[in-house]
Amino acid sequence: MIEPEKANQPKSARLAVGLVYALTVPGILAWLAAIFLAPYLRSRGAGALSALLYAVFAPLCHQIPDRCLVFHGCPLAVCARCLGIYAGFLAGLAGYPFVRGWGSLALPKARLVVLSSLPMGLDFLAGAAGLWASPPGLRIATGLVWGLALPYYFVPGAAELVLRVRSRRAARHVLPMGGIKR
Amino acid sequence: MDNAKPEYLVPALIGGAASGVLLMTPFVNLCCCLWLIPGGVLAAWVLAARTGPGLKAGDGAVVGALTGIVAAVVDAFLGLTPLQSINRSVMRTMADRMAEFSGAQLPQLDRLKEQLAAPPNYTVAGFLIGLFVLAAVLALVGLLGGVIGVAVFGAKKPSPPSQQPPAPPQGHSDAT
Repeated sequence: MIEPEKANQPKSARLAVGLVYALTVPGILAWLAAIFLAPYLRSRGAGALSALLYAVFAPLCHQIPDRCLVFHGCPLAVCARCLGIYAGFLAGLAGYPFVRGWGSLALPKARLVVLSSLPMGLDFLAGAAGLWASPPGLRIATGLVWGLALPYYFVPGAAELVLRVRSRRAARHVLPMGGIKR
Repeated sequence: MDNAKPEYLVPALIGGAASGVLLMTPFVNLCCCLWLIPGGVLAAWVLAARTGPGLKAGDGAVVGALTGIVAAVVDAFLGLTPLQSINRSVMRTMADRMAEFSGAQLPQLDRLKEQLAAPPNYTVAGFLIGLFVLAAVLALVGLLGGVIGVAVFGAKKPSPPSQQPPAPPQGHSDAT
């Protein structure tokens, strides 16, 4: 006999994954747009709004101009590696439904994130050791590889969080004796 | 879940404090918010060590998000200490070096140096808004770190019942 809660699980998981996906896609698109909007606004003379956008990204990225790509004559709001990570996240998100589907809350094996971190880690360590100064293209590429793997952890994690919040809300509507509040 | 809250709190405080300090440490902070990933992984590891295997992605998400919020608070308050001026002087030195190496006068570098030379002006409202935005963003990055941490340390599935050794027959013993 199937318990009612388990029977509902795939449907609720699909809804939670769908909700997280539906919020994350516009979120990352807006995030990427803001990265390009900051230099564009600065080039158009909208200094205050541009400064606000740069300030939002300041705690998240060193924003060293030499490490940032230039757009409309001004550096992007994040460095090339961070841009690669966010672009990779978007690309990974685009492939998510085809790779994982909508109903799975299972996490991929840890080796996925370890392997995807290797190029970026090696590039960073070699740069820090003074072995080479990686060009922006390589920084973007290594960030992109890492970013590609991240949605496969983020979406199931956030979806399970949504399910927990929902079940907690549902539990509030159930009376202590097992009755349902009407 | 309210009962489980204290279980998340200590790992989140440990992971968040570690990440927050690293986010403010000169040179080390060039990795920026990436420190939230190892911070979230650390929090998940502590959680797994305290509660045992069998953690779910949601556990990692909760502990990771809390880690991000703690890190934001630690980072914001460390920003009020002399560490911030050390970071600014490190950035100024780096900007000078870059200008030396590039050989050309880059307007972006000049602008950066101007910004770093200006004294920081803090307002309570600006501090609180900045803290709120930082906490929201770091909570998302920490969530990711916590979930990755669960994938690494905590998501061990219990062994299937068929692999368990058969229970000894009751009421009979070879021991004499």
